[in-house]
Amino acid sequence: MRVLVVEDDTDLNRQLVGALSDAGYAVDSALDGEEGYYLGDTEPYDLIILDIGLPKMDGISILEQWRRSDKKMPVIILTARDRWSDKVQGIDAGADDYLAKPFHMEELLARARAQLRRAAGHAKSEIECGSVRLDTNSARVTCDGEPIKLTSHEFRLLAYLMHHRGRVVSRTELVEHLYDQDFDRDSNTIEVFIGRLRKKIPADIIETVRGLGYRIIAEDDAT
Amino acid sequence: MRLDSIAFRLIVASMAWVFLVLPLAGFLIYALYRTDVQKSFDAQLEKLVTALTIDSMQTVDQVPVAPTNRYEPLFEVTHSGWYWQIAPVDKQQVVTLRSASLATATLPSPFELRYPADPETNMRWRDDTGPDGKPVRIVEVIGRLQHAEEGPRFSIVVAGPSEWLEYSVATFRNRLALALTVAGAALLVLMVLQVRFGLAPLQRVEEALAEIRSGKANRLDGAVPAEIEPMREELNALIQSNEDIIERARTQVGNLAHGLKTPLAVITNEARESPGPLGEKVIEQSKIMTDQVQHYLERARMAARVGVIGRVTPVREVIEPLARALEKINASKGVKIDVTCPTDAAFQGEKQDLEEMLGNLLDNACKWSSGRVTLEVKPSPLMSSTGRKRLKIIVSDDGPGLTKEQRSRIGRRGLRLDETKPGTGLGLSIVIDLAQSYRGNLTLDAAEIGGLKAILDLPAA
Repeated sequence: MRVLVVEDDTDLNRQLVGALSDAGYAVDSALDGEEGYYLGDTEPYDLIILDIGLPKMDGISILEQWRRSDKKMPVIILTARDRWSDKVQGIDAGADDYLAKPFHMEELLARARAQLRRAAGHAKSEIECGSVRLDTNSARVTCDGEPIKLTSHEFRLLAYLMHHRGRVVSRTELVEHLYDQDFDRDSNTIEVFIGRLRKKIPADIIETVRGLGYRIIAEDDAT
Repeated sequence: MRLDSIAFRLIVASMAWVFLVLPLAGFLIYALYRTDVQKSFDAQLEKLVTALTIDSMQTVDQVPVAPTNRYEPLFEVTHSGWYWQIAPVDKQQVVTLRSASLATATLPSPFELRYPADPETNMRWRDDTGPDGKPVRIVEVIGRLQHAEEGPRFSIVVAGPSEWLEYSVATFRNRLALALTVAGAALLVLMVLQVRFGLAPLQRVEEALAEIRSGKANRLDGAVPAEIEPMREELNALIQSNEDIIERARTQVGNLAHGLKTPLAVITNEARESPGPLGEKVIEQSKIMTDQVQHYLERARMAARVGVIGRVTPVREVIEPLARALEKINASKGVKIDVTCPTDAAFQGEKQDLEEMLGNLLDNACKWSSGRVTLEVKPSPLMSSTGRKRLKIIVSDDGPGLTKEQRSRIGRRGLRLDETKPGTGLGLSIVIDLAQSYRGNLTLDAAEIGGLKAILDLPAA
């Protein structure tokens, strides 16, 4: 899952990037409104954390422009202004959730997870594919109840495929969503990680669709 | 009436007018009248003496003829006050002629008493007393018989009762004094009314100022007299600049408070990452700072509202965006908010306050609900003591709800019944503070659909 953080306070930006990376997301960050807008407009993010008070371009305008150009990714706005009229204004501009400063990082992570699940169409915090189960809250994967140890890259790959289970996900999409923009995008690494994953979970769960990409079987097909 | 008031000055000034000018005018009128009456009386005497002179001197005899009394019938009545007398000046042998009214008495001759003659008419005047002791005015002509231009001279004397003259003048004086006193009193009353009328706009200005002070108005409006217009403009400018200063101060408090939030978030997050006594201390202190910031923001908000009375907020306009926003925020839980609100329901108060109250209540309900939240607005059957209409807003959820004991504790600042769900613990206390500032209140109950029911009672418009 790839996340963009747009926050002009360098310390808070660093903390957000740190916490989100620790939670297993590929994180990009922007320190001003123009850069944030550009990144959100050109890169396919799964979630954006957007501060409202930004230099160069304010958060509400950025959000409205993204929505006008039909960007549908979930956006959580951060704001020091916590009156309901401010919140409603943010939501009406296209935000999916808001968080008033100062906030607890755990709460931000919980809301981020909720938005990612909702965007992928899952209501519950756990996603199941056959015997494999992903707990989005604790970022743990189990197979038949047994915990499976995964590296962060392996986890990101599996989590993305499970969030979009039943759908064919191309290698390009995986690269775009799993790595931040500074990562060396070599699609061969995807194949390497798929290979490693297949050794740790039942191999038939991840299906290779020739020429198109990969697919995790949806629950209904799993039987 | 205060001694340093404009009304007092005006009334004293007009009293000075009345007490100085009226008596002076009265004296002048009296003097004019008196002269006039005297002149017409003298003119009558002059006429009589001329007629008598002609009558008595137009003769061929060596002695004057007794004139007829056709000019004044009262010459016949004894001691009537009207007399004539024709007497020789040089030769005493000619007998003196007298009117019947004079009987045997003699009128003194001003000529003999060496009174000077009027150079124009050659008449001599004198005030004296008549044979009956009453005052008379005497006029005398010295004449000669018609045919004897160098002959003996005669004194022709006519007297009229000047008592009547005095009486007439005195009557006039009394009436004049009475009339002027009445006029003076009327003038004083009119002056007081005039001062009142003239100063009435000041009274209105005073009332308008009182309204501004009590917050019913925020500027001095309406027609004011031209003299006060510049003062009104200055006053409005002063009020405006005062408002601007307050607004600036408020904005600065807001900016300061909001500006502190990001650093507070940073400090708190950093402290959480570093376990140990220092981290704990920092977390504890930054929590206090956060509460302070929140507290002063609320204070600034409430202060902004003081003095704004008479604002009307349609309830529906506030509910719809809130419900839309909260449904979107809670979309992952699939929360649905059912709104029942009459189109004409209106809240007597500031829009932002209603937003804060309803936002917090709905947010709470959504947080705890398992999918269903209802909001119902209805006019309250209860009237307030002042007879104003009231409004009931009921927010229910289908969540776990609260026990009776929990409900009684809720609303305390920072109290959070469930520490596992995120929140500041300020939501309901903000609602209660706001509701109370509108003389309303918040009560909690068990909802028919399972969870908590919050009932907000507010003034309706």
